[in-house]
Amino acid sequence: MAVSDALRPTATVSTTQDTDPSKRPNRFRQALPQYAAVSPFFVLFAIFGAFPVFFSIWLSFHSWDGIGQMTWVGLEQYSYLLTDPTFWKSITNTLIIWVISTVPMLLLALIIANALHNATRFRSFYRIAYFIPNITSVVAVTMVFGSIFSNNFGLLNAFMTSVGLDKIEWLSQPWGIKVAIATIVAWRWTGYNAIIFLAGLQAISSDIYEAAKVDGASPRQQFWQITVPLLRPVILFTTVTSTIGGLQIFTESQVLFGSSGAIGGPGDGGLTIVSYLYDNAFGSNQFGYGAAIGWALFVLIVLFSIINWRLIGGSDDERLTKRAARRVQRKIAAEQTAAGTAGKESTDAH
Amino acid sequence: MTLTRRKFLALTAGGAAAASGLTGCGSRSSLGAPDELSLWAWTGSVNDDLVAQAAQGIPGAPGKKISLTRIGGDYKTKLLTSLAGKSLVPDIVGLNDDVATYFPNADQFLDLHELGADKFKGDFLEWKWKLGITPENRMMAYPMDTGPTALFYRRDVFEKAGLPTEPADVAAAAPEWDDFIALGKKLKQAVPGSAITDNITSLYQYALAQLPKRYMTPDGAYIGDGDHIKQAWDLAVRVVKEGLSANAQDGSTDANAVVTNGRLVAFVGAVWWAQLGPKNAAPKTKGLWRVTPAPGGPGNRGGSFLAITKYCKDPEAAFAFITWLESAKNQAQSFLDPVLFPSTPASYDDPRMTGPDPFFGGQRIVDVFADSAKKYPGTYFSPYDSIIGDPIKAELVNIEIGSKTSEQAWRDAQKLVDRELTRVGAI
Repeated sequence: MAVSDALRPTATVSTTQDTDPSKRPNRFRQALPQYAAVSPFFVLFAIFGAFPVFFSIWLSFHSWDGIGQMTWVGLEQYSYLLTDPTFWKSITNTLIIWVISTVPMLLLALIIANALHNATRFRSFYRIAYFIPNITSVVAVTMVFGSIFSNNFGLLNAFMTSVGLDKIEWLSQPWGIKVAIATIVAWRWTGYNAIIFLAGLQAISSDIYEAAKVDGASPRQQFWQITVPLLRPVILFTTVTSTIGGLQIFTESQVLFGSSGAIGGPGDGGLTIVSYLYDNAFGSNQFGYGAAIGWALFVLIVLFSIINWRLIGGSDDERLTKRAARRVQRKIAAEQTAAGTAGKESTDAH
Repeated sequence: MTLTRRKFLALTAGGAAAASGLTGCGSRSSLGAPDELSLWAWTGSVNDDLVAQAAQGIPGAPGKKISLTRIGGDYKTKLLTSLAGKSLVPDIVGLNDDVATYFPNADQFLDLHELGADKFKGDFLEWKWKLGITPENRMMAYPMDTGPTALFYRRDVFEKAGLPTEPADVAAAAPEWDDFIALGKKLKQAVPGSAITDNITSLYQYALAQLPKRYMTPDGAYIGDGDHIKQAWDLAVRVVKEGLSANAQDGSTDANAVVTNGRLVAFVGAVWWAQLGPKNAAPKTKGLWRVTPAPGGPGNRGGSFLAITKYCKDPEAAFAFITWLESAKNQAQSFLDPVLFPSTPASYDDPRMTGPDPFFGGQRIVDVFADSAKKYPGTYFSPYDSIIGDPIKAELVNIEIGSKTSEQAWRDAQKLVDRELTRVGAI
């Protein structure tokens, strides 16, 4: 407040200057160094961020093989997309992989975070150990898991036969592929999410737990009645990031099956939306179609983020109060306009 | 204060202008210095010594040098990106056996007929030479290596199964695929778990590689639903139904494992499989493998090309380089490293190639492949062969993993192909 008060006289001076038209360009020029200083980011963003985004919209209305002429096809790519069974299969695959990776992953992460929070010895060691999978190269991880799950001579199958179970052809069966990919995703991200949860847990005041203990709450009750509700914003964050990541799964199926010619693996069991996009754009040079798939994916991610936010974000009370506040605001605005324009009451009734 | 700011702005603007000038917006130039011809190829596609020699000076083009860039990862994507950018395009590029997918954009490359390629036509296998020429008779690509096919087999396992063991006898025992399957059954009885292919698509592709027709005719009619394709399909399905496939899908670690642990005891493969398969994956089987003419006849799978882009600084020098690199003498050297099988029959008698191979028990395996390469009838690859082949292979896999019957998979494959071809406007 003090600062703005001190500035007030200068501000008045500049307003009076502004009324003089000859002085006007000066203000922009004064700000130019600042603009120039922040421009590198915006220039790079415009070239490598904004341009590709807008170009891909333009591209999705064309048929283009990458070298020759782009031909305008209007909405044909999108109508082909909607009737493309493989595209729908890739969506189903992605959602299945997402569910069977994210749900166990977040539950496990929560449990691990809770254990880490209560750990008394080697805390840093455990935290680092759980985080390491996340900074390991996904390609390397996938290759290792590819060997673990491989049909004939995989470690997992060797283990299963040694305990008397039948071999399962993990990487040939559509659901086996999904389990394998979901396992890789979960293995990489459980530790990361656990660390995020841990940060959330440490922010919860120990007074609450002590009070609960005094009231005779069991550890189980403490977890479900105190920890989980207070962690809500953190849970929302991890869910949204896992959703965005989960809908964009690509590397796993690319590394597992990319060299086989069919990027989705046997029966397209591991064909995700992004791998289908990649295969169309860069495998069969259908850049227009690839762009259309990209935009379909965008719509899907927006949709799921909204659903997540609605499900987990903010309590019902908060949303209700917000809605009520908006209703009051609208009422006031309506009254004001009604008062202002006496003759147009019929339109305001809407 | 104002002055320095102005100076600063002028400098910034000047710098930006210089930067945009350097990137050469709109200029149509090729990559590299004026006396340097840039060559793009993937790892293991050219002989290092020869390229090092041309980097000092191209034989036959005084004052010009070659500068090789090995493009790792997704070669085709990078090449397409560079061609789409219309600037800093390499002068000479390697193209793989999907050379026909570039035919619709053949105008991006120089017509080698015009540079006098026909002078060298007699040196090359006729079918290989034709693969680089578009249906409009534009010679877009110059032959590099080939991939003749033959039957690889484990002599020791054949002996254990009481089967013929010498290459000539094995070839006589299995002239056709039917005989080969019968042989496979005997192998499996004697040594349980034995397989004669790693997976269903391998067998299909090698059967297809023997045919004089593929998916389309040169004038653009789709024939991928014809009897010749269906027969190759049915053959592959039969091998799987007889339990003679190892069900190790391409690109999986299993595909190597079935060679390493000796499940794959006989395999119709291209010459490059010798290196990729047994030599890399099962070095301990040294001396146990033999090669003999494949059941079903000679075939070819794989083999690459060189092309000169239209951005090339000096087409004559570039042409001098590719004809020198692909001469019979130099192709024989490229066979030693990185094991590229020559497309020039004169190389097959080169002493550097004809030596006995200890991995194959001292057999002169080049003779077998040379014979296959010379007798192979040749075929036509259309620009859409990969668009057609991918769904067919994917549906074959569905049969092998048991999720579809052969009839259903065939119907689905044809439906998918029809959809894809309609979309790209090929039919």
